[in-house]
Amino acid sequence: MSNAEQNLAFERLVRPHFDRLYRLAWRLTGARPEAEDLFQELLIKAFGKLDDLVQIEEPGSWLCRVMYNLFVDERRRFARRRLHTVEEGQLAGEGLQGLPGSDSPVRDHERLEKLERLDKALAQLSDEHRTVVLLHDTEGYKLAEIEELTGTPVGTVKSRLHRARARLREILVADGTIS
Amino acid sequence: MQNNDINRQDQEILELLKDYPMPAADAGFYDQALVRATHEGSRRQRNRWLLTGFGAAIAATLAVWVVGGMLLTNPQIPDERATIPGVTIALEEARTVNLVFASATALDSATLTVTLPDGIELSGFPGQREITWETRLNKGKNLLPLTLVAVQPAGGELLARLEHDERNRTFRLRVDVT
Repeated sequence: MSNAEQNLAFERLVRPHFDRLYRLAWRLTGARPEAEDLFQELLIKAFGKLDDLVQIEEPGSWLCRVMYNLFVDERRRFARRRLHTVEEGQLAGEGLQGLPGSDSPVRDHERLEKLERLDKALAQLSDEHRTVVLLHDTEGYKLAEIEELTGTPVGTVKSRLHRARARLREILVADGTIS
Repeated sequence: MQNNDINRQDQEILELLKDYPMPAADAGFYDQALVRATHEGSRRQRNRWLLTGFGAAIAATLAVWVVGGMLLTNPQIPDERATIPGVTIALEEARTVNLVFASATALDSATLTVTLPDGIELSGFPGQREITWETRLNKGKNLLPLTLVAVQPAGGELLARLEHDERNRTFRLRVDVT
């Protein structure tokens, strides 16, 4: 296979899953630069495994698993990146300002405020809890899909989801977001 | 609290989570990522043998570069003591605390060591009492979020030691577990 044919075959296999993969990268990392890095690193790794990739029945699920493992490995091996200092004011709220508005500016403002508080509350969860709650409650992954993706037994996923929701409730009730 | 209240609150949180936004990828990002992947993937395949054979030499070169970088800097250690409140967390609860570092100048290759008290872990580093990494401080205030998890009913003093160019400063944070 020529280089051009190889590149084309790769693109045909991975491009249909780009939106799903980008969403996953964003939910795992919570920030655009890290999400783009993770997405890029996945594609580079997948290209190196093109021979395997063409044999896989569900390349989308396989790519998601590889991405998750890359994320976990990156977090473990390069702790300094995850724990890198950030400028004050940059911790929460990224991406929230560009929300599409409705016809009611007051309602939009309230909605944005609540989402910013949710953003801050999510930042207080552990990585494991935040990942589970975002994948399940925001992205609509089923428990079994999270088990397959993360390699965590369904029972543990359920328990993390329960604890994550309880903690979110505690934070959001305490700060008056919900009553 | 009544079960009805909890159910209603959970429903409200669920609606917020469903609404939790995520910006779309930048226009052209997917195409650029594809091009970079095929170029970089091909390059890595070609160079794999080279990296395998000369890995040790590359690692040694990197180490020299890092040490050299530290020697060349002319830093000023932060002169503003951050106020870090104590924190009380429940058993098995994860809580993110933000350590504030104020630096008069940007500092490259500063070393930060976090020493954890009994019963407290740093999320993502189970079982580790001391975690060290290199980091960079921007000029001005920097926030370092640390997600702590109480795994035992103990607690005590968390130490965060910042070192640069043979100078250091230690920050203390009281962590109590209920």
